[in-house]
Amino acid sequence: MIEVFFQFDFLRYSLYTGLMIGFLAPILGVFLVVRRLSLMADALSHITLTGIAFSLLLGRHITMFAGLNPVYMGMAFSITGSLLIERLRHVYRYYKELAIPIILSAGIGVGVVFISLADGFNNDLFNYLFGSVVAISQSDFQVVVTLTIVVTALLFLFYKELFFLSFDEEQAVISGIPKRSLHVLFMVLVALVIGISMQIVGILLVSALMTLPVASAMKWAKGFKQMFLYAVIFGEVSIVIGLFSAFHLDLAPGGTIVMANVFLLIGSIALTRKRSL
Amino acid sequence: MMDLLQQLTFLERGILAGLIIGFICPVVGAFLLVRRMTIISEGLSHITLTGIAAGVFMSQSTAFLGFINPLYTGLIFSLVGSLLVEKLRQIYKHFQELAIPIILSSGIGLSAIIISLSSSSYTEWYNYLFGSIVTVSLNDLLFILITGIVAMLLIAAFYKELLSISFDQEFASTSGISVKKMNFLFAVLIALVISMSMKVIGILLVGAMVTLPVAASMQFAKSFRQVVVGGILFGETAIIGGIMLSYFFNIATGGMVVVTGVVLMIVAVLIKQLKTNINPS
Repeated sequence: MIEVFFQFDFLRYSLYTGLMIGFLAPILGVFLVVRRLSLMADALSHITLTGIAFSLLLGRHITMFAGLNPVYMGMAFSITGSLLIERLRHVYRYYKELAIPIILSAGIGVGVVFISLADGFNNDLFNYLFGSVVAISQSDFQVVVTLTIVVTALLFLFYKELFFLSFDEEQAVISGIPKRSLHVLFMVLVALVIGISMQIVGILLVSALMTLPVASAMKWAKGFKQMFLYAVIFGEVSIVIGLFSAFHLDLAPGGTIVMANVFLLIGSIALTRKRSL
Repeated sequence: MMDLLQQLTFLERGILAGLIIGFICPVVGAFLLVRRMTIISEGLSHITLTGIAAGVFMSQSTAFLGFINPLYTGLIFSLVGSLLVEKLRQIYKHFQELAIPIILSSGIGLSAIIISLSSSSYTEWYNYLFGSIVTVSLNDLLFILITGIVAMLLIAAFYKELLSISFDQEFASTSGISVKKMNFLFAVLIALVISMSMKVIGILLVGAMVTLPVAASMQFAKSFRQVVVGGILFGETAIIGGIMLSYFFNIATGGMVVVTGVVLMIVAVLIKQLKTNINPS
């Protein structure tokens, strides 16, 4: 059953990519959840769709863009989106939580218009929305590896600052941590990971990989470091289960990965509840 | 009345449905905005997709379930989803905002599986995801009309209670309003609004109709009532503008409606900022 994944190159690439995502997404997710920004992942992933649609549209009219992988445009859009959200938070000072639904729905709306202009309502779009096991080519894979290394290195470098900022923002600012630039850096990291993961998991489901493992881990963990550990374990387990069942049952991998996560979450809630009684 | 409805062409049906939606979405949106819960519409709309996918799948796979209209299963799922959100808020007491991403992503995850199981063509799914004005059938129009009337009646009947709970939950509960019942009523309202709008605007875009018009009207409004009225005006403009543009340029209706809404909102924000720059008071 498992051997299939090593026989074919494309399956091997997506398995390895999956394992890397299963590591990166939950780690960023822990920071997102602790900073109460878990919805940010949803907003950014939806705006990534706009970028992908834009790139598809350009590709139809300008030959230069036809060879470009739409994912890069998606990443660029989602970085812009994260900056726009900050801007909107200033505009709606008393209703800051409005910024995320606005960006989320605007992102999808504009995306749909681009898609329809590009006549893109076809199977490719479905793969972008819900993921595909065969989406990763060799050149994609090289990009994925490079980005994984970059993101991990940055996380290691700024771990202390991010940690400080997550738990005590005021004191972090007083002790001279540049809050704004760190926040931007963090959002860029999230946007990059969304870009990597969406090829396998699909745009609509990327955010699940950032929040669900963390939500399960939260039920078990007794400390911040344990939360990372459990979140990564849950993430990896769900990816492996999800990819195998997706391939063997011919389902969308995004769906199976997320449902594996949902079952892990339900299990965690049920088990820990008994323990605490 | 039935005769009148039957005489409508498919385009008129779509426009009529759009007008009803453009009226009700901002009204519910205004309450959600004040309760700081606008994002719940996104969560519930995504779980409605699961319901629709399940409905379509059931009616395809088993003959005796063929009568199932996906709109109704969508409505049921979004009701269940709204109850689950409340439950999850209790489980994650210190991270209540986690409830919505959890529901949102599990809803989409499950629907992705059901969609890949079912034999429908992708185009049919795109209609549900992004809306299509030309597929509004007479039955759909009746569904929209009835759910719209029910939603309006509920709001009219409980207007005072809803208002009081939205602005001051503690005061409301001390003056004898049951917060739990009102939360349930809210959930029912949102579920109704989402399931009625999705045929025209599409599931992924319902949230936009609830949020954007209210966000635009907030820039000018001086009271809650003005937010509601302004929201309706912006909502209807977005719907009419969007439908016209989508018809002329042959673009998905939902997308065009939302883009019109976004443009209106940006204009509103810019005007407001210009005003405050001219006479800073």
